[in-house]
Amino acid sequence: MITYMGKGFSDKESLGVLNKDVKEWFTKNFKELTIPQSFTFKLVSEHKNILVAAPTGSGKTMSGFVAILSDLFNKASRGELKEEVYCIYISPLRALNNDIYKNLNKPLEEIYQLSSKNEKSSHVTIAVRTGDTPQKDRQRQLTHPPNILVTTPESLAILITSEKFSENLKKVEYVVIDEIHELANNKRGVHLALSLERLRSMIGHDFTRVGLGATLYPLEEAAKYLVGCDEKGSPKDCIVVDASWSKKLEVQAISPVKDMIYTPDEEIEEKTYDIINGIIKKSKSTLIFTNTRSGTERVVFNLKKKFGYNEEIAAHHGSLSRESRLEVEELLKSGSLKCAVSSTSLELGMDIGSIDNVIQLGSPKSVTRAVQRIGRAGHKYKSVAKGEIIVLNRDDLVECSIMLDAALKRHLDSFRVPMNALDILAQHIVGMSIMKKWDVKDAYGVIKSAYPYSSLKYEDFIDTVRYLAGEYVGLESRRVYGKIWYDEKEHTFGRRGKMIRPIYMLNLGAIPDEVSVNVFDSKTKRWIGNIEEEFLTRMKQGDIFTLGGRLYRFEYAKGMRCYVTPATSSAPTIPPWFSEQLPLSYELAIEIGKFRASMSVAMAKHLKKGTLNLKSKVPKDMESMLSALPMDGNAAKAIYGYFVEQQLFAGAVPNDRLILIEITADPKSGQNLAIFHSLYGRRINDTLSRVIAIHIGRKLGTDVGIMINDNGFLINTESRLKPSDIEDAISAMVLHDPEPLLRANIRKTEIMKRRFRHVAARSFMILRNYKGYKLPVGRQQVNATLLIKAVESIDKNFPVLKETYREIFEEVMDLPRTKALLQSIKSGETKYKVIKTQIPSPFAHSMITFGHADVVLMKERHEYLKYLHKMVIKRINTTKR
Amino acid sequence: MMLSEDIELLDGLPVAFIKSLNAIVVADMHLGYEGMMAKKGVLIPKVNFKKMTETMTAAIEKTHAKKLIVNGDIKNEFSKVDEEEFNELYDFIMFVRNAGIEPILIKGNHDNFVERYREPFKLLVYRQQAVIGKYLFFHGEELPLMDKSTKGVKAMFMGHEHPAIGVIDAIGKHERLRCFLYGKYGRIPLIVIPALNFFAGGTEVNMVPKSELLAPMFKKNDIDKMHAIAVGYGSTIDFGTVKELRKLNL
Repeated sequence: MITYMGKGFSDKESLGVLNKDVKEWFTKNFKELTIPQSFTFKLVSEHKNILVAAPTGSGKTMSGFVAILSDLFNKASRGELKEEVYCIYISPLRALNNDIYKNLNKPLEEIYQLSSKNEKSSHVTIAVRTGDTPQKDRQRQLTHPPNILVTTPESLAILITSEKFSENLKKVEYVVIDEIHELANNKRGVHLALSLERLRSMIGHDFTRVGLGATLYPLEEAAKYLVGCDEKGSPKDCIVVDASWSKKLEVQAISPVKDMIYTPDEEIEEKTYDIINGIIKKSKSTLIFTNTRSGTERVVFNLKKKFGYNEEIAAHHGSLSRESRLEVEELLKSGSLKCAVSSTSLELGMDIGSIDNVIQLGSPKSVTRAVQRIGRAGHKYKSVAKGEIIVLNRDDLVECSIMLDAALKRHLDSFRVPMNALDILAQHIVGMSIMKKWDVKDAYGVIKSAYPYSSLKYEDFIDTVRYLAGEYVGLESRRVYGKIWYDEKEHTFGRRGKMIRPIYMLNLGAIPDEVSVNVFDSKTKRWIGNIEEEFLTRMKQGDIFTLGGRLYRFEYAKGMRCYVTPATSSAPTIPPWFSEQLPLSYELAIEIGKFRASMSVAMAKHLKKGTLNLKSKVPKDMESMLSALPMDGNAAKAIYGYFVEQQLFAGAVPNDRLILIEITADPKSGQNLAIFHSLYGRRINDTLSRVIAIHIGRKLGTDVGIMINDNGFLINTESRLKPSDIEDAISAMVLHDPEPLLRANIRKTEIMKRRFRHVAARSFMILRNYKGYKLPVGRQQVNATLLIKAVESIDKNFPVLKETYREIFEEVMDLPRTKALLQSIKSGETKYKVIKTQIPSPFAHSMITFGHADVVLMKERHEYLKYLHKMVIKRINTTKR
Repeated sequence: MMLSEDIELLDGLPVAFIKSLNAIVVADMHLGYEGMMAKKGVLIPKVNFKKMTETMTAAIEKTHAKKLIVNGDIKNEFSKVDEEEFNELYDFIMFVRNAGIEPILIKGNHDNFVERYREPFKLLVYRQQAVIGKYLFFHGEELPLMDKSTKGVKAMFMGHEHPAIGVIDAIGKHERLRCFLYGKYGRIPLIVIPALNFFAGGTEVNMVPKSELLAPMFKKNDIDKMHAIAVGYGSTIDFGTVKELRKLNL
């Protein structure tokens, strides 16, 4: 059972459970216990499973370790400490592992000094084992295993499949999983969950599990992930400690100028940098988050240029080398850096010392992310985290105000554990078969005890076993294709051949080979630069994009090479930050929708009285509603104006229970558009837009184009749609199961090919490393469409195929929630309204201008926005007269 | 679709039929493809042989042809015949025997060892090119040798290029269709046969620049002037010239 615990133990009680030398060392070095520690010392010493959520810098890691060290030194003092692994510490980051090693080595030495009066005492040893560990250290760890093994999920999977090393794991009593929020929501974490259950089954006993994480929700889900399930399928016991709010938040959304539409760009930019500089100046250290890597570079460049900063400002993002990132982290820790600018890389993980202030440029798109980022500020665990979000436009303003309001109310977005991933399952079945011959039922039992597989169907499990046994090829080829043998009569399986161990070791893991695609000039064949593969999958011939500050037209791609020609004058059709852009979360979208609904209700009163107009001041009741949100003075008026414009122009403000559908045209291109104001987050929009496009396309008998956005989506058609076209399409949509339609629709898309390749590699159907031959990613991608076709012709439910669809439907899109939304439309709980407009309504403007330029360099986009807005205002004024 | 009174492209199949020879023509079978991929660690299901024999059977039933001309690259590996390939080569020979059809093989760049099996299986194998009846057949990794023997040929058949066209729809769905290419080499009609191999998706001739094409033929002969006759979804349709098709994706 999962239980929450609200109050910790007194320091006296907590310290009372510790070994005397550990206690002496602790009290010498720390004045008091932090909140997480007030729970963990006692609970861990009682061998209770525990999950702790707490902000960085709250002594979280130590909180997990102290009671374990205490136990180990107790063992040492009794002379019982052997050369065995007692504790495994796992974190997703190698760098963090090295940090932990450094941070624990010193205490271990100091405590040993204290304990050495006792002649029986011995050293408690620690070692790091990752992919970087040199051969000679590995050898040493095999013969002299450390008491505390610090490792990564991938290395652990290797160790438990190593005949010799697994002998050293027989005594494991504790497993600590750090940064659990980085694992519980993805396949790497799924991989780890299965490794732990395999370890438990192998050594014949369970261990105390300690999970440490930053802000995440729902914690119960994370706890289940940590401890797994018992034989009956219910979660094992775990105590949850939520200390993530031990830091107070002091946050605000800031609008850099009063009028976000007509203020010239230069002035907005100037003001934005002035605000940033003001904050940097008055703080000892500032951390700035942009949402993209290119944005990060630009902000650093501009701050240096405008205000004469030099070495005191540095960038930190994923494209930089490991060395330069480490250097920036060190400088931050030592306090010699005035300001660091980062995209996502400094969001979590490493302790970066004390930060006075966090500035976020533009919306971080999720409440949890906002809390995690702003939570980087504050000196000690008890201090206040101060942060500002500088918004870029009016949608941003609404979004960020609601986001910060939700953060203050502690309404976080939820994460999901990927359930029943068949590719990771396939890997582990191979891993299990390497260690021994299995009875099918026993193996199924071990797998089901891992939470991500607690609902795994037996048929899916057996299908995966059959696939691994090579049953999809003739008998004579199974020697090559089969990784395991499966005896249907005896209900057993085991490994096939000796080669399978090295194949397993070389190919395991959940992280796919990602590559950057080389971009060449198609005429001169000159190399221009790199783009991410994800970005390439979004492109079709004729698309315009920016690279290194210039515009290029996409011509064609061949394998991992992309050919372009220089483009002139046109605006990019794919924003450069597309692949980096964070998607708006479902929960936040709903919160914004609710806010829109309450604004509509408030406006309705004034509309009735005839007092709703753009000239008058914000009415009292609405003023008080808006001022309750965490934003500055400029912001309230801007939001009010935005909503009034939408109401007066379109006669309706969309909300969480009302989808507004606008039939209109892009005034510049003349393109026919149907704009769906469906504010449910990007992943639902990704799903919903495809389904509706299919139905509209069927009705019209033509192809329709879609463009997905956080606040809705656009559908463009050759001829202007009639309201009845949309109504018919929606009626058809809510009556049919969207899944088969979507399957057919995505079958030939680039995303399908790419995900299929990833799943095929994880499932060992495409071996990245085989007989000393490393398969280049380009080759892995070759003819993915035909591979899919070939697999389909074998069996539509082939595990590799089934998993690809699952991954796309549940992790890229959000089919479950889309289905729920369709039900809600069907029942009338969520309504829709189709209107016709001459020009797009204000709420549609950011969707229309989406592709027009990039967030920081937004000149062109802004020009267009102004143009659209002028036309809207003109219309409102003329219709009044 | 009839290209001439004597030459037919069979609806929906990457196969040509020549009435006067009572022969069907295919190219680029690449037997043993999956086995070769498996050696590199790509363990794809074995469907190529099955799919190809299905296609050939359909063509034979439709035309009652007595001959099968394989215009090069019957098998996949460059240098040697490996076990997997041999198995499929053997299966192929059994297939034509059972179908009561005489195989005529034109050697391609992947077929260096096919001759070893000429004797035991009594195969008719031509090096590089062959004039059969009024037609010239050549694989295409080299230009055809035009001499006395080719004088007066009415049309020529080539393989090697694996031609296809690419079409992208508004939702970003990318469709690739195999195609015949039909045009002229000098004054002689030239027909390029698409690959029969299931896994050879093909080179999208309307997407890649000419410099990326494989066959030396297209260094001398402008592919843009040729018609792409696409095969798929049960039909065979002339999509117009490659030049026009290049505009399709603008």
